[in-house]
Amino acid sequence: MVDLARKNLLHDKLRFVITVSGVAFAVTLIFVQIGLFGGLLDNASVTIDHLDADVWVTSSKTPNIDFAHLFPETSVQRVRSVPGVARADNLIVSFMFISLPNGARENIEVYALEDFNRWHFPWNVVQGNLDDLRRGRYFFLDESAARRFGPFAVGEYREVLDYRLKIIGTTREALSFTTTPIGFMDYRIAQTLLGREWVGRTTYIVAKLAPGADAKAVKAEIQRRLPHNDVYTTAEWSRQSRSYWVDSTGIGFNMFMTVLLGGLVGIVIVAQTLYTSTMEHLKEFGTVKAIGGSNGDIYKILAEQAVISAVVGYVLGLIPAFALVPAMAKGGLKLVITPELMLAVFVGTVAMCLLAAMVSFRKVATIDPALVFRG
Amino acid sequence: MLLEATDIHKTFQEGRETVHVLNGVTLSLARGEIVSLEGPSGSGKTTLLSIVGCILTPTSGRVVIEQHGVNAQHQGELARVRRQYIGFVFQQFNLFPALTALENIEYALNIKGVKGAAAQREAQRVLVAVGLAERLHFLPRDLSGGQKQRVAVARALAGNSPLILADEPTANLDSVTGGQVLEMFRALAKQENRGLLIVTHDPKVRAVADRVLKIEDGRLI
Ligand SMILES: Nc1ncnc2c1ncn2[C@@H]1O[C@H](COP(=O)(O)OP(=O)(O)OP(=O)(O)O)[C@@H](O)[C@H]1O
Ligand SMILES: [Mg+2]
Repeated sequence: MVDLARKNLLHDKLRFVITVSGVAFAVTLIFVQIGLFGGLLDNASVTIDHLDADVWVTSSKTPNIDFAHLFPETSVQRVRSVPGVARADNLIVSFMFISLPNGARENIEVYALEDFNRWHFPWNVVQGNLDDLRRGRYFFLDESAARRFGPFAVGEYREVLDYRLKIIGTTREALSFTTTPIGFMDYRIAQTLLGREWVGRTTYIVAKLAPGADAKAVKAEIQRRLPHNDVYTTAEWSRQSRSYWVDSTGIGFNMFMTVLLGGLVGIVIVAQTLYTSTMEHLKEFGTVKAIGGSNGDIYKILAEQAVISAVVGYVLGLIPAFALVPAMAKGGLKLVITPELMLAVFVGTVAMCLLAAMVSFRKVATIDPALVFRG
Repeated sequence: MLLEATDIHKTFQEGRETVHVLNGVTLSLARGEIVSLEGPSGSGKTTLLSIVGCILTPTSGRVVIEQHGVNAQHQGELARVRRQYIGFVFQQFNLFPALTALENIEYALNIKGVKGAAAQREAQRVLVAVGLAERLHFLPRDLSGGQKQRVAVARALAGNSPLILADEPTANLDSVTGGQVLEMFRALAKQENRGLLIVTHDPKVRAVADRVLKIEDGRLI
């Protein structure tokens, strides 16, 4: 087959460049929006996803990992006695003030466990030995704190809730949804720092199942024994912590609107250029009909042009999106482009361009082949 | 008989006015025959050509091509008849500007259902026949007017369409070039036994025609 669609498309190079740029612009915009959204949501559950637990026990109605409430720490005994539970520990998650050398006070979010190594947590230790946390008034601090609070080094002291603690290690990638840096300290130290109200109380119980145990059954049994708590599998709790932010803030809607606008911009540009191109090629389409071509033959030409524009525009839009990943990371923003997202945006782009081509379909259907005889 | 058009009437509605363009035209054309259709401007030549070419539907009358009555009410049927029986040559050449000479013809063959290497061979054959063996891969913008019209003639001849219809094929060519194209056109039509109907003002066409028809006010005279 002679590829009239492709040859016509490339015959007018300037127009092709404009079309493809429009598509690429829309594609980049959509990738950045959804990618940033995904990056933010990743932070919303990053600790849940990395801590090596299968079941989480929270106080009743805890909305997400960052907004923890207190309950008696002795509940952990009842969790440990449930068949199928290999181990269970208390976990404190709490915001704490940290005093900076310049006198300012900032927030860090502290995760406190008795034995961090047992839970393979934190997951990305840069410096220091987690076992040392048990030995005294020490803590680990995430490297992202340097950007927020100024440089710091292992061996320095900081006042956390008015107690002097020594920084004995650093981590990477540990930030909350609101990009507050995360610190890690011993469970008992955290309780001491937090004061009287916290004596004998925790915010979470994390549990690891024995090999072969059925998560749903164990979860139900824990719930039965702790009726005043909520019990989640890790996946459920992760999802809940993410959807909290989508539901309670405008970010979900904001992303949706930008993606919609990006899509609209793309459709309008492609529809506009394809339509002008169709108008300029009316006589050629008339000729196609005169020599026996059907409307379908011409629809195929337009559809092929739309798909070519979509594919080229998609590739040209994906490249800058990927190039932005390290730049965004420098600014503290995570841009997550997964294969699933790439596939979804690709399908969306092709659909968008085909939709745009349909604007011209009606015009084509009305072309009178008799126009080939007119001057 | 290759083409038989009987008592063709055509009216156009111009606002409230009804314009009678064709008032009962009857004509026939045999394979291997070359007929010239002459008449003043506005006499209905192009309209008649469009009707026998199954592009326009007559208001009344009957078109029969190779013993098949054409059902002019059905667009798909008209397109099928055009694919199967008819080749067109237009005053403006109507080549696809983005396609080379060879591709222009291949594409028309593709539409007619001839694909791949067969289409390529046939396109090459007709281009060689019209004397453009050296210009196969030229884009229309790099061809002279006469060469473009040769490509258009080749396109009409490609495949086996028995009926070739040409509307003012020499109007955009200078006298010498027009004469050459007509000579070649005649030779090929005769050689391949096609019926050729040429609508024209150009007196040179008489020289190549077997028969001359004259139309005035929508009637043959
Ligand atoms: N689609 C149409 N609607 C209305 N009137 C039409 C239409 N097509 C043709 N006509 C009219 O029909 C008449 C004949 O037109 P046609 O194009 O057949 O003439 P022609 O003999 O080919 O003229 P020319 O030598 O100038 O090409 C003209 O008066 C023209 O205005
Ligand atoms: Mg005319």
